[in-house]
Amino acid sequence: MTADLETRPAQAVRERAPANRPRNLADHVSGWGFAAPAVVLIGLFGLVPVVWSAVLSFQHTDLTSPGTFAGGDNYAKLVADPLFWDAARRTLVYVVLFVPVTLALALPIAVMLNQQIRGVVLYRLAVSVPLVTSTVATGIMFSWLANPQFGLVNAALDAVGLPKQGFFADPGQALFSVVAMTVWGWLGFAVIIYLAALQNVPKDLIEASSLDGCGRARSFWHVELPLVAPATGFLLVWLTINGLQLFDAVYVTTKGGPLRATTVLVYHLYNEAFVSFDGGYAAAIGCAVFLVIGAFTLVQLRFNRRTSHYEVR
Amino acid sequence: MAHGRGLSRRTVLTMGAALVMTAACGTGSSSDGKVRVWHGYTDKEASALTKLADRWNTTHPNQQVELVFNGGNDNALQKTLASFASGNPPEAAYQYGSSITGLTGRQQTQDLTDVLRGDSAFNWDDLFQAGREASTVDGKVYGVPALVDNLSLVYNEKLFDEVGIAHPTPTWTWDEFRAAAQKLTADGRFGWAYVNDGTEDTVWRFLALLWQAGGDLLSADGKKSAFASPAGLQAMQLLKDMAVTDKSVYLDAGDQQYLNLFNSGRIGMLWTGPWDLGSINEDVSYGVQFLPGKVSHATIAGPDTFVVFGENGRKNAVPFLKWLLSAEIHLEFAMETGHLPIRQSEVDLAGYAEFEAKYPGTKVFVDNLAQNVTKARPNIPQYPKISQVLGTAVQSVLLGQAEPQAALDQARGEVDQELAGS
Repeated sequence: MTADLETRPAQAVRERAPANRPRNLADHVSGWGFAAPAVVLIGLFGLVPVVWSAVLSFQHTDLTSPGTFAGGDNYAKLVADPLFWDAARRTLVYVVLFVPVTLALALPIAVMLNQQIRGVVLYRLAVSVPLVTSTVATGIMFSWLANPQFGLVNAALDAVGLPKQGFFADPGQALFSVVAMTVWGWLGFAVIIYLAALQNVPKDLIEASSLDGCGRARSFWHVELPLVAPATGFLLVWLTINGLQLFDAVYVTTKGGPLRATTVLVYHLYNEAFVSFDGGYAAAIGCAVFLVIGAFTLVQLRFNRRTSHYEVR
Repeated sequence: MAHGRGLSRRTVLTMGAALVMTAACGTGSSSDGKVRVWHGYTDKEASALTKLADRWNTTHPNQQVELVFNGGNDNALQKTLASFASGNPPEAAYQYGSSITGLTGRQQTQDLTDVLRGDSAFNWDDLFQAGREASTVDGKVYGVPALVDNLSLVYNEKLFDEVGIAHPTPTWTWDEFRAAAQKLTADGRFGWAYVNDGTEDTVWRFLALLWQAGGDLLSADGKKSAFASPAGLQAMQLLKDMAVTDKSVYLDAGDQQYLNLFNSGRIGMLWTGPWDLGSINEDVSYGVQFLPGKVSHATIAGPDTFVVFGENGRKNAVPFLKWLLSAEIHLEFAMETGHLPIRQSEVDLAGYAEFEAKYPGTKVFVDNLAQNVTKARPNIPQYPKISQVLGTAVQSVLLGQAEPQAALDQARGEVDQELAGS
């Protein structure tokens, strides 16, 4: 989006606007009409809960009986709660591993699947299978694969003479095991996005670069990689948001354990809300997560706007 | 893209959208006279319960019971509370015994003391004590027992014979239990299994150990913790000796694996309840015995409860639940499901011999219930927090991350703080 792009259509609209006002109005009305169901649903299930949990975070409430006003109590508790900060640290470690590893694995796979090779459809299908597998099924499968005593992974390690590992059962390894499992689960999604972006790269650009003497590696580095930057930006934001909200994968494998080793922020929230029934405090944690996600997303979007100059028109 | 076509099509679409919105908003329901009972039963239990409800419905046109599967009992409390928040709770819902204090403070929950204890035909005192206690908080009755069970020792007879050790006896000691577990342990095989997810599933097994050593969870007045005692230390030490020193315990990170491993001969002994017997493969010959003992052979009951909500529930759900718990009807249910009898008089019925013949393992569970269930978890609002703290303590010992005394001291501090804070 260059400066040149931003000004020209704006002028065009200004010229045409007076002549077409009635039709524009009708268009607006029908446009909103088409969007209304989505707007209402998103408002109802997206916006209302956000506002409601913000209200709850200033109350003492068990979520079922009417709460009482708590002022800033819940936020004071949050700042002083060592479990909250432990959970925040684990969430950060998780995101810092999960997002880059997913991206770093997805791009080469997408590049490989973008080749004209026999049976490529089959490989593409194989990569996207984890995407449609439910987290519960994934969790049960990984629990058995990574079972310390009877799992296939340890059997393989043992066969090549490496020591057996504890994986989900070892407080020192559980979080990394969750990273590995969720990377597996999200890889298909990231590959599909990258594959679509790679297929949008105009062939003539690659041809031109090879005429100019670029080898395959250099044309990937200087032509394709910059052109898929918007996809990278999207994935970065999307995976970060999902990483910060990690819950289900933990719930079905470790239940936050062992010894809280996988109690990430949203799992801590769940514990407070639905095990201890401290709804106000849980809402405060939720608002903190919301603010962190908002801040991350803003920073990343701004950063992406600065780096993604090469949008293809 | 909307150019060229007339407004009529837009109007139609807009109206369609409006219809969708109205439909999405208008899902209130009224439930007069209808008795909705939420449960988490599947398989045999679900079909047995459905059969009984159908029979009830043919003779009670004004108290029609509708069974609603809640998706599984593990989160029944959370789902019930969500139904309170939405203003549309069921008339009765199946709950774990440890959940009841989460419901007693709510206006929807009905105090049934007069209709249950005051009804001589229902004969409240005939119900097993563990079930009565689990449904009672501060002397008031909030539900009817739905299930009474307890932990007993289930062992693989073939493995014991292979290793050449005597089968467990009712007077087995901790030392004998530990030695047997050690002997059963071999490459790819464990003597015992322990659910190590830090939830109540981890904690109640520890409570049984604590009681066996003569200890208790809280002081008599319930105001302070009492588990950081010599008895508590012995219980923790046994866990450490077996899990860390002997490595004879399979630590299950959830509750999904130990039974499969028992079925495939990789675990020698379980501490479990009758609910698992139906899932043990037919080619596995198993025996059931009392838990081993230190001072006593105490076990813990895990009674579950149907809690009743709202005026409609009080009026119309209670008669159905009373009928469900009458001796003949419950024995019929037990025959199909393998559930233990829920009242004393059930054992004296003519059909009971047939029940024992059909489920050979259950006799020990019934005897265990009568002889060794002497204490119950405290029904106090702080229990969920206490359970979390103890779960972490037990887990840290099992994983070799904390010494027994240190784990107990830490947990004592947190529990005392929790009890003092209310």
